[in-house]
Amino acid sequence: VTRPARILLVDDDVPIQRALAPLLRSRGYEVEVAGTGGDALKAFAAHPPDLIVLDLGLPDLEGTEVCRRIRADSNLPIVILTARGAEQDKVAALDLGADDYVTKPFGPEELLARIRVALRRVFSDDAAEVGRVRLGDLTIDYDRRRAVRGEEDIRLTPKEFELLALLARNADRVLTHRTILKAIWGPNAVDQPEHLWVLISQLRKKIELDPSEPRYLLSEPWVGYRFTTEPGRGE
Amino acid sequence: MFRDLSRLAAALAAVALVTSAYVGWLNVTNATMVALSFLLIVLVVATTSRLWIAVVTSVTAMLSFNFFFLPPVGTFTIADPQNWVALFAFLAVSLVASNLSSVARARTDEALGRRDEMASLFDLSRDVLLVTDSREAITLLARFIYRRFGLDYVAICLPKQGDWDVFESGPLALALDRSQLSLDADHRSIVVANQRVQLVPLRLGKKPVGLLAAAGREIEAGTLDALGGIAAIAIERAQFLEERETAEVARRSEALKSALLASLGHDLRTPLTAIRVAASNLQASWLSDDDRREQSQLVLAEVERLTRLFQNILEMARIDAGGISMESRWVDPSEIIEAARDQVEQALRQHTVEVQVDDSRLVHLDPRLTAAALAHLLENAAQYAPARSVITVAAVVSANDLEISVRDRGAGVAEADLPHLFERFYRGGEAKRRASGTGMGLSIARGLLAVEQGRVWGENCPGGGARFTIRIPVKTTAVASSESIA
Repeated sequence: VTRPARILLVDDDVPIQRALAPLLRSRGYEVEVAGTGGDALKAFAAHPPDLIVLDLGLPDLEGTEVCRRIRADSNLPIVILTARGAEQDKVAALDLGADDYVTKPFGPEELLARIRVALRRVFSDDAAEVGRVRLGDLTIDYDRRRAVRGEEDIRLTPKEFELLALLARNADRVLTHRTILKAIWGPNAVDQPEHLWVLISQLRKKIELDPSEPRYLLSEPWVGYRFTTEPGRGE
Repeated sequence: MFRDLSRLAAALAAVALVTSAYVGWLNVTNATMVALSFLLIVLVVATTSRLWIAVVTSVTAMLSFNFFFLPPVGTFTIADPQNWVALFAFLAVSLVASNLSSVARARTDEALGRRDEMASLFDLSRDVLLVTDSREAITLLARFIYRRFGLDYVAICLPKQGDWDVFESGPLALALDRSQLSLDADHRSIVVANQRVQLVPLRLGKKPVGLLAAAGREIEAGTLDALGGIAAIAIERAQFLEERETAEVARRSEALKSALLASLGHDLRTPLTAIRVAASNLQASWLSDDDRREQSQLVLAEVERLTRLFQNILEMARIDAGGISMESRWVDPSEIIEAARDQVEQALRQHTVEVQVDDSRLVHLDPRLTAAALAHLLENAAQYAPARSVITVAAVVSANDLEISVRDRGAGVAEADLPHLFERFYRGGEAKRRASGTGMGLSIARGLLAVEQGRVWGENCPGGGARFTIRIPVKTTAVASSESIA
């Protein structure tokens, strides 16, 4: 990356703007601030940023609506801020294509990590699924459709491999149950999460050292799963 | 009684009149004609008066018939045995006629009485249906019964865990012996303090739900049953209303709790996030001095916001618990305004506050409560009026109350929001656009003022902007001297 990434920060709360904007600038991002959904869409149209940090509780438009409109035009990463306990909004926004979320009150590092991961996706999106990809001490071998840990081959069923590949492709991002179900079993399976539970537990048995305390394949309760490349980060 | 005596006198006068007319003037001697005339009088008397009057009239007429018209005239002796027959036939006919007509009269009276009782029952059932306050319903029911039926004492007794709840009404004070009450018995009477008390079971279907006790006028058994039926329905209705109200209260308090949680969810987490991020920014080395100042100001302002939020929650809890007492003293209205401004100084920083107090009278109220309520109105105005606009606070003292109004130059209140402004956690269409504001301030202001019997309302001003007005009933002084307030 030659130029600094531009971030559009959308939150109606002025103190939040005043705390976050300098933080992001200090990490080398260019920051533009919008206080309403309308302003956010305008700023987005006028000068598309590299990433949007979007608060879901906006005064004029539902945050999910902003998310949907942006997704209609662009694939740029969206990180959601939410103060609501309601998981539904989060999941709805993620299903609409948001990349990740942070729940208020969050610490600065949490947000910065999400932003880093979301930006990385942009640059790895086009990577072809060939050869081998290393994620921590786990290697995914696309040619042989299996995973390797150290010297040990892990045999995976086709569905297990598909799930692992999907999660690895979106490493460090949360994927909602719905997204995963749709990607692996097709649109008709989105309301049958039990498929996913079974498959996840099979996959955990194979790739996790201790499936009862997964290091890679983390649950995001009521939202989805995240494949983390920084195991033991203590989420 | 007087009426009966005058009727009797009239009846006897009629007999005397006919007798003297026939004897002294018309010279009528035909026994048949005399007997028929007397019979006519007796019949008229019997249809209009009581039986005993008719009987006395009959006997008098018979004696008069015997004395004046049956030979030998002028004596009570009767010569011709045929005349004995005539005399007794007359007496018998007049007595039978009296009796028949008085029975007919009694029937009519009874029918009229029934009609009145039916009307009373009907009125009662209407009264009962109109009662909406469940708590008062049963006492009201007792009062309705006593009034509609002209009784001296009415009690509705409902069994309650081995004891009885007794709801009484009527001028007579009776101490019902509760051990004499029982759901099992049918109609019966007991004697309490020399009063006969009729007891009627109240039944819903077959199930007895209570007892009705009535004293004073005797009420007919059928009517009592009907009364018991209506009372039972009324009681069931009251209990139903009460249950519904309890359910409604529970539902509202649930709704309130979740509104509180939702509100806290947003209103706590947002400032906490800002504080957390700003505090960690303060630790960073990349900050310039200006940045550092700004970030620390930010932390302080957010802490202030949280403090205010907690104050609101606490105040609200105290209002709910009824834990706010009033301490009135003499105070200058401008002092209250000053105190209120101090409390929300932060919120008012960006506005110009104009104060108009043209009165030097003192008012007697609780300055603490009043100022706290006013502070909420000021804070509200500051939130919804644009920065740097003018907020006008005006106090007007009149003979019996103090009015303080807060007028802003904002966009005013949407018509649809006006009726709900003081509802807890209500945030109008416009309010939702603001990050600050918890939907508690105005409802707290109202709660605080209620302790002082004060009112608060909001309206839109003709020239734009909203005006919120507090009115508190107070004693006021004429221009105060130090003695008068000592």
